[in-house]
Amino acid sequence: MKIWKKIGLLALSAVAVLSIAGCGNKSASGSDSNKKHTITFMYRGGEDEKKAYGQAIKQFEKTHKDVKVKIIVTSADNYATKLQAAISGNKVPDVFYIEQNNLLAYVNSGVLKDISKEVEKSNIDLDNVWSYGVNSYRTNGKTVGKGALYGLPKDVGPMSLGYNKTMFEKNNIPLPDKDKPYTWDEFIKVCQQLTKDTNNDGKIDQYATGFNVNWSLQSFVWSNGADWSNKAKTKVTIDTPKFAEALQLFADLQNKYHVTPSAKEAQSLDTYQRWMKGELAFFPVGPWDLSTYNKLNFDYDLIPWPAGSTGKSATYVGSLGIGVSNKTKYGQDAVELAEYLSTNKKAQKTLVDAMVQIPNLKDMAQEWADDTSIKPANREEFLQIVNDYGHAMPAATTYNSEWYDMFMTDIQPVLDGKITAKKYVKEEQPKMQAKLDAANQQLKTASAGK
Amino acid sequence: MDSTKVVKKKKSMFHHDSKLYRDEHRAAFLMIILPVLGFLIFSLVPLIYSVFASFTNWNGIGQMTFTGLTNFKLMLKDNYFWKTLYNTFFLMIGIPIGLILSFLLASALSRGLKGTTFFRVIYYIPVISSLAAIAIMWQWAYNGDYGLVNQVLALVGIKGPNWLQNVHTVKPAIIAMSVWKGLGYSMLLYLAAIQSVPKSYYEAADLDGANSFQKFKNITWPMCRPVTFFLIITNVIGGSQIFTEINIMTPTGGPEYSSATIVWYIWQKAFKNFQMGYASAMSLVLGILIFIITALQFYMNRKSDYQLS
Repeated sequence: MKIWKKIGLLALSAVAVLSIAGCGNKSASGSDSNKKHTITFMYRGGEDEKKAYGQAIKQFEKTHKDVKVKIIVTSADNYATKLQAAISGNKVPDVFYIEQNNLLAYVNSGVLKDISKEVEKSNIDLDNVWSYGVNSYRTNGKTVGKGALYGLPKDVGPMSLGYNKTMFEKNNIPLPDKDKPYTWDEFIKVCQQLTKDTNNDGKIDQYATGFNVNWSLQSFVWSNGADWSNKAKTKVTIDTPKFAEALQLFADLQNKYHVTPSAKEAQSLDTYQRWMKGELAFFPVGPWDLSTYNKLNFDYDLIPWPAGSTGKSATYVGSLGIGVSNKTKYGQDAVELAEYLSTNKKAQKTLVDAMVQIPNLKDMAQEWADDTSIKPANREEFLQIVNDYGHAMPAATTYNSEWYDMFMTDIQPVLDGKITAKKYVKEEQPKMQAKLDAANQQLKTASAGK
Repeated sequence: MDSTKVVKKKKSMFHHDSKLYRDEHRAAFLMIILPVLGFLIFSLVPLIYSVFASFTNWNGIGQMTFTGLTNFKLMLKDNYFWKTLYNTFFLMIGIPIGLILSFLLASALSRGLKGTTFFRVIYYIPVISSLAAIAIMWQWAYNGDYGLVNQVLALVGIKGPNWLQNVHTVKPAIIAMSVWKGLGYSMLLYLAAIQSVPKSYYEAADLDGANSFQKFKNITWPMCRPVTFFLIITNVIGGSQIFTEINIMTPTGGPEYSSATIVWYIWQKAFKNFQMGYASAMSLVLGILIFIITALQFYMNRKSDYQLS
């Protein structure tokens, strides 16, 4: 064979072997020479968030000269899939976001490192961090909320209720009280006043609201003293009169009181667009919405959610955590990166200035809420939710969310007014109970095998 | 006869212990090493691994415990498994529709009318576009309030439904989109098949006084049969694995799971609910089902293939 042909072939096969080897272990041999080591950080988020976190990480690298942070960033949709693939492929990033409802599975499978000692030794004042945020990442392997610390909060996400102040003023309706929630009756009455045809073309073009069931029903249920399950997460409790009453009211906003866009249009996209166009009076507002909503051409502010029979407002507060891999070679640096992003004042300021979250530190949050130069005025409401009336999502602390997802999957006929809430909760309870039992069984097997 | 002799002679040159044979053999081996390694590492090993995982209660990240046939028994009783399987096959209604439409289009474009190239490009654009982008675009088009589809319907006085949020319209909506997306590809293959039919066949038919329908029925359509067969096989296999458009257009599986497909359900189980073992078992069953269907199709096509050659 011609020599060139041979060389060509050898080169070709060498490329083949190398390219496959390249998929394997990329050792940090290159970085050893300048005494820098690399830790990987995997996270997700929208554009603003990606940018803000990239900036915070650069600041971290400045204070940790020997550490280089390699960033793996994904879109929100892809995150869970990619992380799980990385875990089962034994390529766990050193530091990564953890979703609340994955904590039990990750801890029982030995994915997450117990960082209690490291955090204790560092001079972080955990009392100054939202306890809801910290406790979301404590577990003893069976329940969430107590035990060893397996992560720090990346953020806490209180879902508040916003109202279009400009619309209220235009219609001469007294502004809602920021300290005293509407009762349901008052809420419906205001809603009816605000739903109208503003240009007299025979079509209603201004609605009171348009809630997405996935993100708003919780408030109605909880403030009426009902819940999806008992505290121990062993029994599905949707088949109570209080629960049915709340769900029925939620559906009636569309079907009976007609204060939301017609029954078919429950897609959040539609109502979100309407709110941004200034055609809705009330809409849920999370801290991550502020950067967008502050650019809208109407005034808005935050109020407590309308209260059901308990007389107390309720809503959900989410959280995302930052965890450290159990297999990391650079445990100390990895924990320090998590601590930095979660609790460092400078990092927090970068993130808060980017308007993607509220501060994790209580004192800083209070300062932020008191600052009168930022819109909306009543940002204090966010803090009250975290401190007082926010609940975790029903499936946040169960082994998986199948049982709860089922509720939302089957709910459309209730929202369309085809079946009553009372009938629905009765039929749905046993189905959900079976899934919850299965999840608890999975947890039992997983924690026993630990 | 002559040609076979030559081949035989050549073969003897490549005797197994000749240097030339060994050299060429080694070269050939080096040539194919990349795809073979790729297949072993990225296809065969994961395949075997997932077959193994389907007999365990693996959660995808932790320990595996062997549980025998538990997953398969569970599947029989799992209503969602059957529902998503049904949905998947229901969505395949789009396959014959797409084939007929693309065949008609190809027939029209093969007549050498003006602007053929233009239309070929137009119909092919969806094929080269990213599926995710297309799904997002159609999601907008189907929007109940502002969607293009309903706006067009409104012009003729019809009030369209909220396509993707309605149990009865979500499947037809997704079928329509898949047909639209696949049209260009099938059309191109049909176009090639139609154009490669020898002119002499038609001339002979003309002499026999055949009308255009007879020519179509007895020449064009049978000559395109291998393409039809190929398209049916690949479309059925692709259709069984439909996922991206479902996950983007109806991220929760549609109202009452009415657009949830089997691969979407498998993905949910594997990556959302920590049931990788169960998900693997479902994939195994799906794989076997696809294999059986494809084998059946080959079996049914056996006779016509013989007749053609």
